[in-house]
Amino acid sequence: MLIRAKATTALLAACGLAVGGCGGGGPQSSSERITNGKVVLAVLNDQSGVYADLSGKNSVEAVKLAVADYQKKYGDAAVAKTIEVVSADHQNKPDIANNKAQELYDRQRADVILDVPTSSAALAVATQAAAKKRLFIAVSPATTALTGKACNKYTFHYAYDTWMLANGTGRTVTQQGAREWYIVYPDYAFGQDMEKSFTQAIQSAGGHVIAADPTPFPNDNFSTFLIKATTLKPKPQVLGTMQAGGDLVNLVKQYNQFRLREQGITLSTGLMFITDIHSLGPDAFAGTQFTDAWYWNFDERNRQWADRFTAATGTRPSFAHAANYSAALQYLEAVQRAGTDDADAVVTAMEGYTFDDVFARHAAIRAADHRVTHDVYLAEVKPKADVTRDWDYEKIVQTIPADRAFRPVAESAAAGCTLG
Amino acid sequence: MIRWLLTRIATGSPWARYGLLLAGLLLAGSLPWFVYPPVAMDIACWALFAMSLDLLLGYTGLLSFGHAAFWGGSAYVTGVVAIRSGLPFPVAVLAGTAAAMLLAVPIGYLATRRTGIYFAMVTLAFAQMLYFVANQWRDLTGGENGLQGVPRFLPGVDLSDPFYFYYAGLPMVLAGIWVAWRIVHSPFGHVLVAVRDNPARARALGYPVVRYKVTVFVLSAGLAGLAGGVFAISHGFASLEDVYWTTSGQVVMISILGGIGTLWGSVLGAILVVRLQDALAMSGFDGIGIVTGSIFVAVILLFRHGLWGTTRDLLASARTRLDAGRLAGSPHTERPHELAADGQVVQPQR
Repeated sequence: MLIRAKATTALLAACGLAVGGCGGGGPQSSSERITNGKVVLAVLNDQSGVYADLSGKNSVEAVKLAVADYQKKYGDAAVAKTIEVVSADHQNKPDIANNKAQELYDRQRADVILDVPTSSAALAVATQAAAKKRLFIAVSPATTALTGKACNKYTFHYAYDTWMLANGTGRTVTQQGAREWYIVYPDYAFGQDMEKSFTQAIQSAGGHVIAADPTPFPNDNFSTFLIKATTLKPKPQVLGTMQAGGDLVNLVKQYNQFRLREQGITLSTGLMFITDIHSLGPDAFAGTQFTDAWYWNFDERNRQWADRFTAATGTRPSFAHAANYSAALQYLEAVQRAGTDDADAVVTAMEGYTFDDVFARHAAIRAADHRVTHDVYLAEVKPKADVTRDWDYEKIVQTIPADRAFRPVAESAAAGCTLG
Repeated sequence: MIRWLLTRIATGSPWARYGLLLAGLLLAGSLPWFVYPPVAMDIACWALFAMSLDLLLGYTGLLSFGHAAFWGGSAYVTGVVAIRSGLPFPVAVLAGTAAAMLLAVPIGYLATRRTGIYFAMVTLAFAQMLYFVANQWRDLTGGENGLQGVPRFLPGVDLSDPFYFYYAGLPMVLAGIWVAWRIVHSPFGHVLVAVRDNPARARALGYPVVRYKVTVFVLSAGLAGLAGGVFAISHGFASLEDVYWTTSGQVVMISILGGIGTLWGSVLGAILVVRLQDALAMSGFDGIGIVTGSIFVAVILLFRHGLWGTTRDLLASARTRLDAGRLAGSPHTERPHELAADGQVVQPQR
């Protein structure tokens, strides 16, 4: 039945192609305000691997919340009358992400792809977005290449990036007196970029990176690197780990087993999600400072949204969940302003827009490099004794205002981004 | 009607063969009308890849468990050439093919000194070496990120739509399939079968066995490289997955599912496996490995000679019966010589 339906669709599509001649692409009449009669939001992320907890299927729920909010706000006046949310699992592999993105755009008629953790996968999706001329809002990948040499008209970078993390964590920790660093990073686009950004931030704050080692990704056993940390000369004061998700959890477990903290080597994490703290318990991380893009228990507005999210999923939101909600909402708002889901019109509606929502405070979408800027936070993990309720793991030390939190436009241009 | 057709096929009538060939070409030409065009291209590439393996496994009795080295090696070379030179894609693919064949010379020279499981392990080891080279040589291959944004350039033609690219890539694959068919049906191919069945006797007859093995290894690598190059252009991407051992494993599986020593079985196997993976992925089902694995086990248990091989065996027994009937009438009917060589039961060597 399904196969027959598919064959019929394929046949119809093929007939359409034959009639349309060598025009290529799907037929699009300009009078049609919403292509295919519906807006399709596609969430492409890791649904079973090391990044499944920090984003995964719950991000699909977050996007559904955004759709509900959009429909409630505009009712009959909504430009996007029918909204469909689809999702796919890219298993953190760039080749699978490449194929899935192509399929989402072609077969599922996705108007926008959201999320895509794992930088290497995100770069592949950005290439597809440019080729298919459809939107990609990169929510949970971190590489600054998305607003550097890989930037393009249809790609936006939403929640955070390696520059923002290094600027928050690397600089602050170094200025607090931890000058000697040993960095370990996962050996793919994200880790390589993190290592570069952190080294820059540490050096500009007067610190020194003794050694930086790549690790396989994903990886279970970090003992080689943990032993090496103790034998380095001079002895590092900080072990800077750029691992994320399940890898970070593994590394921290082993860091505690090897008792490095007792040997005077403190831990600093490049990227941490609240789901990581939850899976090991706050004591494993207590005192660790890190940069957070959003915290659910920051204020009343966040708590209210977090409660809605918890009602839908049974767990507390990480910043990636909130950012996916926000990205979907802002995309739909842009469709509303543009009056169509035509990709070029939506891009124009998004560029230069300033807004403030539950995730993104004092936010702006930069036209020059498509970086979305917003307030970010320097957070510290509370010791277990201070945790008063479930998931209440963080103390916000300082708010880094939106205009200082992200890489300046000039640096993006220097990195090779030539939009507009 | 069908009975008549089957009878023609079973008796090896040339008209039936042309009919089958025409049907095959029609299927190849109309594939992207029925399946998603990139998937259609995948089927074509995997079919040629499996065929290249079948040259070794089915016709020479050598199980290569490192064919991903040639498929993926060519994918990287094709990608690098296409990105850096901006030449039309067929040139890039041919460069990849040539690179795969060059790579196959030392590997084949060393690996063919051994047979059976040792041969498989040596090829696997070389493929894994290439995997780590591709992983570490980041400037050239992009390491874990893969080689992204491989262009599909052909002067004067817009190939951005995968539907049109299929028709641009298909002739290259068909040419590869034709080469494989020529190899099998040449005197060289017959010597290969002799080497497979009894290497000592082949040597005694004066055939340089090792040289034959190395030659077919290099040819096979070239065809795998051709398929890998088209695959990389089709996806606009070359990744570590292409040189990983799972890719070597998948092509062995496709070849065995279709039936080794049959060539055309590889096409059946590729259609089955690629379509199945696509359908399962689209339905959001996670256990792709379980389903393809179960089918593999079932085919091995029930159809010893694969899908094509079993069909051919059934037709062969039908032919024997027909021949028996005809022999009663006219005692001088000869069985076609070629089919006798081709229709043998394949027993890969240890």
